[in-house]
Amino acid sequence: MPLVWPLLLSCALFGIGLYGVLARRNAILMLIGVELMLNAVNLNLVAFDAWWGDALRSGQSLTLFMIAVAAAEIGLGLAIVLGLFRATGSADVDLAVVDTDEQADGAR
Amino acid sequence: MTGRVATGLSTAVWMVSLVIVLPYLQPDTTSTYAWSDGGGLLDVTLAVHLDALSARLVLLVTTVTVLVQLFSTSYMRGDPRYRSYTALIGLFEVAMLTVVVADDLFVLLVGWEVMGLCSWLLIGHHWELPAARAGAVKAFVMTRFGDLGLLVAIVVTGQAFDTYRISEVLAQLGSGERPPAGIGLLLVLAVVGKSALFPLHTWLADAMPGPTPISALIHAATMVVAGVYLVARLLPLFTPAALTVLALVAALTMVLGALFALMQTDLKRLLAWSTVSQLAYMYAALAASDADAAIDHLLSHGAFKALLFLVAGTIAHATGSTALRDMGALRRSMPLTFAAATVGLAALAGVVPTSGFFSKDAVLAAVQSATAGDGPLQPAVAWILLAAGLVTVVLTAAYATRAWLLVFFGVAGQSHQRAAPADPGAAMVGPLVVLGVLTLALSFSAEPHVVVGIVTTVLLLVGAAASGASWRAGRDPAVLAGPARAALERELDIDDRYLWLAGTVRRAGTMVVAGDRDVIDAYPRGVGALARLGSGLLHRTQARNAQSYATVLAIGALAVAVAVIGR
Repeated sequence: MPLVWPLLLSCALFGIGLYGVLARRNAILMLIGVELMLNAVNLNLVAFDAWWGDALRSGQSLTLFMIAVAAAEIGLGLAIVLGLFRATGSADVDLAVVDTDEQADGAR
Repeated sequence: MTGRVATGLSTAVWMVSLVIVLPYLQPDTTSTYAWSDGGGLLDVTLAVHLDALSARLVLLVTTVTVLVQLFSTSYMRGDPRYRSYTALIGLFEVAMLTVVVADDLFVLLVGWEVMGLCSWLLIGHHWELPAARAGAVKAFVMTRFGDLGLLVAIVVTGQAFDTYRISEVLAQLGSGERPPAGIGLLLVLAVVGKSALFPLHTWLADAMPGPTPISALIHAATMVVAGVYLVARLLPLFTPAALTVLALVAALTMVLGALFALMQTDLKRLLAWSTVSQLAYMYAALAASDADAAIDHLLSHGAFKALLFLVAGTIAHATGSTALRDMGALRRSMPLTFAAATVGLAALAGVVPTSGFFSKDAVLAAVQSATAGDGPLQPAVAWILLAAGLVTVVLTAAYATRAWLLVFFGVAGQSHQRAAPADPGAAMVGPLVVLGVLTLALSFSAEPHVVVGIVTTVLLLVGAAASGASWRAGRDPAVLAGPARAALERELDIDDRYLWLAGTVRRAGTMVVAGDRDVIDAYPRGVGALARLGSGLLHRTQARNAQSYATVLAIGALAVAVAVIGR
């Protein structure tokens, strides 16, 4: 299989993920976008590993490593989203009240 | 009681000063005495200087003050503020004497300024009257313009000669040192303000709501004649340019003052304008570099103008008014006053053999000799001055005759307050007699100028005849001015010109402010607005939205990638 097909798929995945992160307002969907971008990178790694083919299979092992990290990351992210939902009653990031300097000045 | 004390004190001053200054009346007797050097403060020295010039003025000032104090005891009887009035006359006298004997320019300035203060206080003596308040403020403010010139002139003199002592400055000038050009012009400004010369001449007539003895004091012995004395004392400081300015100002002022005097309907205002005109004669002599003629005319003017003002006070006392239409036919009811007024007006017009005749002829002779052109004055300027002087002789005769006829002849005025006007008591008649005798006696020491005397006598007769003829025809001699009469009665609206000038200056100031605010300030304000705009744009990038940051980040990464690949 030529290298270009998995790379195209990876680009598409990354683009969709980037769109999700930038355009979506729902925190869970944004996290899903992040995951898509992460997995596009994983796909890149696996594809280049197959193309390169070194003895240690470093690309595949790095991918496994990243899946573990991504699992931890999504756990942490979902916990934050849960906290946000509890605080505001919504998972919409734009409705999240952020304690800024201006508000702090106003409250003083 | 207060009046007696005041009169006694001023008489004592008169006697003491007489004893002190009599030896100095001989020419070339001078003495200078300095008490202290002021401890290095501005190099001021409390120094006095006496010579024939200051001695004669000391005698004039003290004599007129005694007579004014004596006159006031009767004239101001029952006045609620008589005490402050009489004390201020004393202060006025002291200030004038300070100016006269000062040998230090700063000491002279102190006397000069105290006189300004005293004139303000005394002109505004009847401060219940709005006209008195306005006149006092006007006198004070307008003389301040001139005082500024004197102050700057003193500072410049100190810089140029390294001393403020008049005697030392004159000694340096005598040894051939050239005076800086500006000092003379600044001193001209000083005397234009103090002596009410054109263009600062309007305050003297508006000072007439003050008590009449004060007018006599201001016009005869203090205040306005201080300017004449100053120029006479500092004449070597005057460059030809300054003398030319002085000559032209004097020429214009003497004619204007005489014309205004011819138009007046108020006796005191008439006398005030005649003072302006006569002061211009003194400056004419000074411009012709003849200080002796100027001081002689100052002395004779001091005598007859004090006499005329005290006559006006006597008449005002008797009729309750100073308006000419309230007078008339007073020669029968007030024969002594009539005689005194006749002497005074004859001296004013310059009739033989009064002192006015001799001193005015001396002035005109001095101006005439300046037309030869061997003095500092240009012959053309001297000719203008001489022509103005001769025209003024005619005008002076005309208005003096007019005043004499309107006050003492014709029909009696309508609004006599008192039952019948009569000559007053001894306290008021005494000064009139003394001044009348002085007016005649001062001519004994004068030397006649035959040709000029004949010319002025002819001109005087012309003026008096014209005035008398129109009076005989039943008209006010003021009609002699013809079509210019209305404008002259409004005194050429010069006060309105001042207001116009002030308005113009204010408008110019507004324009400058607007230019500063709207043109100059536009640049810094534009820079400020630009900075605010830039900060607003920068602020917008700080959107507090992580997604927009991430968008910028992604676009940036993309752009970098494209740039790297496409290179």
